[in-house]
Amino acid sequence: MDETQSEDRKIIWTIGGGKGGSGKSFITANVGICLAKSGLRVILIDADLGGANLHTFLGISPPALSLSDFMKKRVSDLQDVLIPTGIPNLQLLTGAQDLLNAADAKSVQKQKLVRSIQRLEGDYILVDLGGGNSLSVLDFFLMSDGGILMVTPEPTSIENTYRFLKSAFYRRLRQSVSSHPVKTLIDGAMDRKNEMGIQNPHDLLRAAMRTDEEEAKKMMEETESFRPNLILNQVRSKKDIEIGFSIRSACQKYFGIRLHYLGYVVYDQEVSHSVRKRRPLVLENAQSRAAQCVREIAAKLAGRHQMFLRFQQGES
Amino acid sequence: MKRIDEETYYEILEVSPTATAKEIQMAYDHAKETFHSESLAIYSLFSEEEISKIQAAIEQAYRILMDEALRKRYDQSHFQTAGGQEWEKPSEMEGIPWEKRASLSFTDLAAHAGEEIYRGKTLRQIREKMGINLKTVSAETKINMKILEQIEEEALDRLPTLVYLKGFLKGYAHCLGLNPQKVIDGYIQFLNESKKK
Repeated sequence: MDETQSEDRKIIWTIGGGKGGSGKSFITANVGICLAKSGLRVILIDADLGGANLHTFLGISPPALSLSDFMKKRVSDLQDVLIPTGIPNLQLLTGAQDLLNAADAKSVQKQKLVRSIQRLEGDYILVDLGGGNSLSVLDFFLMSDGGILMVTPEPTSIENTYRFLKSAFYRRLRQSVSSHPVKTLIDGAMDRKNEMGIQNPHDLLRAAMRTDEEEAKKMMEETESFRPNLILNQVRSKKDIEIGFSIRSACQKYFGIRLHYLGYVVYDQEVSHSVRKRRPLVLENAQSRAAQCVREIAAKLAGRHQMFLRFQQGES
Repeated sequence: MKRIDEETYYEILEVSPTATAKEIQMAYDHAKETFHSESLAIYSLFSEEEISKIQAAIEQAYRILMDEALRKRYDQSHFQTAGGQEWEKPSEMEGIPWEKRASLSFTDLAAHAGEEIYRGKTLRQIREKMGINLKTVSAETKINMKILEQIEEEALDRLPTLVYLKGFLKGYAHCLGLNPQKVIDGYIQFLNESKKK
């Protein structure tokens, strides 16, 4: 009973989407530190299977133990591959550098990993997913309580983010239905040049309605409950900040989903200074403008945690 | 998950059915900024055809909702069922005034300059659409009626000096619920362009 309770209370956030360099590892490390400093037990997971370097953002050397020890069954308990970061309340689980193909890991293995992550002891688990749209990355993104998209105000970043969001959105819809014909429709919708003339989620829903009304309703419910989050990074002007709100409106019109604009981080030289020094920004230069932005985002996440706990206590 | 042609005018502009003219104006500015064809925020997401559909819907929604009579007629036909039952509110952003949403917990944030220019004519149009007369603006802002008229009439040779003009524009913009900086920048840009000619 105790175990299930502790399982229920932790919150998992995944940080993904966009492209390399949009700041996923930066935000994971620094938000994690802020949360840990406020007394929450935080575990950071570097699941960027191709380019794990969260440890560098934290200023520690590449750990001897990693996720691959667990995946290859050298260590039986995921808890045992967690390593201290030198920051109280903050532990790190690093990615599998030598397990590049883990992105295509068998689904049984993936499910086992996901379950193990959910059993870890902590209040907060932040998972840095790295870039890419592989199915395992999408599944990780969707497994979490909240998926966070990191975007910079550049067309390349925005294009990749929408590509990622589309893949995640359709995958989520696909997982919610069981009818084979509807699944086929969803697969078709992924390809814009499909022969069914499905150009966007609205077309897909219409087609699904004609095929199987019950399943279409499920898809609508899934759309309603899908609430990804957005952080805009390297913001240089007020106009850049506004882009976050515009992305929210665009997602509402295109997908019918409610995107939550979690916050933004201003472009700040101090960020690259801190990275070069291999010292986390919020510790190295807590007064910098970017660090203030990070703290604001962390406070929002912690606020949600409080709400979540209160809600749970109210229920039990 | 509604198509744009299934959305109410309120949903198109993402405002509540009780939105004030001020809120509708802000929402319209935001929507225009978001869905113009060069907008970064929609890059790669929509086809050209989808964008023009959305743009047309935004213009139509704005035109109707900013006109008191047209809006009333629209509300009657869309929200009141035969028995005069309750209003059906759009699920999105129920009853949250636009101004509050826009600021969220973001400090130091305001809608920023778009491509559109706030010249005197534009300001007058917006004011008239909101149904506010110049006297009210003058009373609220404590700006002399004559000056407000000159601003709207674009009386280039009679306008106050730049420092004062900026202050007046700021007050005027606040009164209409527009972004002051956007208005000031726009107006000054307009002045500079007219001087060149």
